[in-house]
Amino acid sequence: MTDELGALTVIFTEFYYWITVVLMFLIHVGFCMYEVGASRYKHHQHTLMKNTILIPLVTVTWFFFGWWIYWAFPTGPYIAPSIMTESAGLVLGGGFGANELANPMSPIMAIGLNDHINGVFWAAFLLFSWTAASIVSGALIERITTFAFGILAIAIGSVFWTIDASWGWHFDGWMLKLLGYHDAYASGVIHACAGGFALGVLAVLGARIGKFSSSGEPRNIGPRNPWLVCIGLFCIYTGFWGFYAACNIPIFNLGPEYGLGDGVNFWTATNIYVTPTTLSGITMNFLMSLSGGLLAAYWISKGDPFWTYSGGLAGIITASAGNDLYHPIQAMIIGGIGTIIAYKLHYWVERKFKIDDAVGAVAVHGYAGVVGLIICGFVLWGYPSSGYDGLGYAAINPIGMIIGAFIMFVVLGFIPGYVIAKILHGAGKLRIPREVELAGLDYNMMEAASKDEKAVSSSNR
Amino acid sequence: MATLTSWVEHLTTDVDSATEGMQVAGEIYPMVGTEGWLLLIGVIVWLAWHVVTHNNEAEELKKLARKSPGPNAHKNIVAEW
Repeated sequence: MTDELGALTVIFTEFYYWITVVLMFLIHVGFCMYEVGASRYKHHQHTLMKNTILIPLVTVTWFFFGWWIYWAFPTGPYIAPSIMTESAGLVLGGGFGANELANPMSPIMAIGLNDHINGVFWAAFLLFSWTAASIVSGALIERITTFAFGILAIAIGSVFWTIDASWGWHFDGWMLKLLGYHDAYASGVIHACAGGFALGVLAVLGARIGKFSSSGEPRNIGPRNPWLVCIGLFCIYTGFWGFYAACNIPIFNLGPEYGLGDGVNFWTATNIYVTPTTLSGITMNFLMSLSGGLLAAYWISKGDPFWTYSGGLAGIITASAGNDLYHPIQAMIIGGIGTIIAYKLHYWVERKFKIDDAVGAVAVHGYAGVVGLIICGFVLWGYPSSGYDGLGYAAINPIGMIIGAFIMFVVLGFIPGYVIAKILHGAGKLRIPREVELAGLDYNMMEAASKDEKAVSSSNR
Repeated sequence: MATLTSWVEHLTTDVDSATEGMQVAGEIYPMVGTEGWLLLIGVIVWLAWHVVTHNNEAEELKKLARKSPGPNAHKNIVAEW
């Protein structure tokens, strides 16, 4: 950085991503509040610890191998060649875009004066990883062991969502080239994938004791503290602003990048695929899709606060795939449609398959994400999936987006979640003992606190 | 141990007429070159954490399951600080 303008661009970009990381921290705060609010008193402290401990587990594994996977796998491998290396193998070298930048043994993965971006970009993606794991966490409360959840959190947070991001959320990803996949703000790559993963785990884990009557009728185990749940969801909304901003590149000259001609410059913000959008426009779409979700959820749930707040989130998630290009009113309508489908599917799946999704995570993230991808395929039909014209990228289309949704929800979500949960279950490590679930995970802590309280209150010196 | 002992020297290392303006001495953390060993230590710490906390949790769950206080027992032990 030797000229002032160049330095300003770099430092601005560095600070931009740093701000998004701080904002996205609120997503995790929100998820913790939400889960504790939804769990019963006797499980509170373990519920909080389960979600909290995913922070270090996903962080260290993201450093060890998660970031490396993102940069290594855009070709599949062996599905479509990279536009950088022109090879279909793992992208292991070649400068920017290659995973040598993410090698945990490389000096660039540490503080260095020649690089101001890799660390904040790593952190922004890491916060997405926490979100993926946290989505799964809420569905499993009150009956999973912390050990098993830790393994599952690493699997979704540092492996499976990373693979799908490499395939479908990378300018060089094979899903863009062959399927015309488009998912600007991660309806699929985070939400459908994590929702599918949660469903796979739930299918093995089973319901909380008492959730279903002997005749199979579901019973409502309502949130113990609806206010904490609602504030938690407000925090998630707030963090989602940071997520949207983090999915963009804030300033980029597309003129030379796209080969628009000698001396032609076009400075803009871009999405993750390096196609142009504006922070201004996506802000409108964010708010309009939030509104569409809130309006629809309030109506369909007859004003239930838990579902109304969740519906706002489902609205954003549904519209996210195409929110870089939609009109705000399209974003609102799409958000509303996704929310209604997610709500209906939640109760249908609960009754039909006896799935106990304690916080509606599979619905709000998984089903809404899948619906958002499918709608995006129709509404953006014919748009280019990449700005690198002439390099063999398919246009956005409904079939490609439906296949993409299947890959996200089932191939990289449900199946890995189911298989890993089966292995943990087979080893007797997945679920807590029945007696503990009935007594409450916090029983020993509560008993110790009660003894302490009695000792203190009966003393006079 | 120290990667740099003078900021002036560090920021001007290897700058010649061909690379003028380029900062080539980027790394400033201690023990540059030991990244592989640091990774190995990190992985060992991470895996050991799983083993230790798994054993602790299994022990705690076993004890509580044996005690089996029942679904409503916790209502009698809520601390009222």
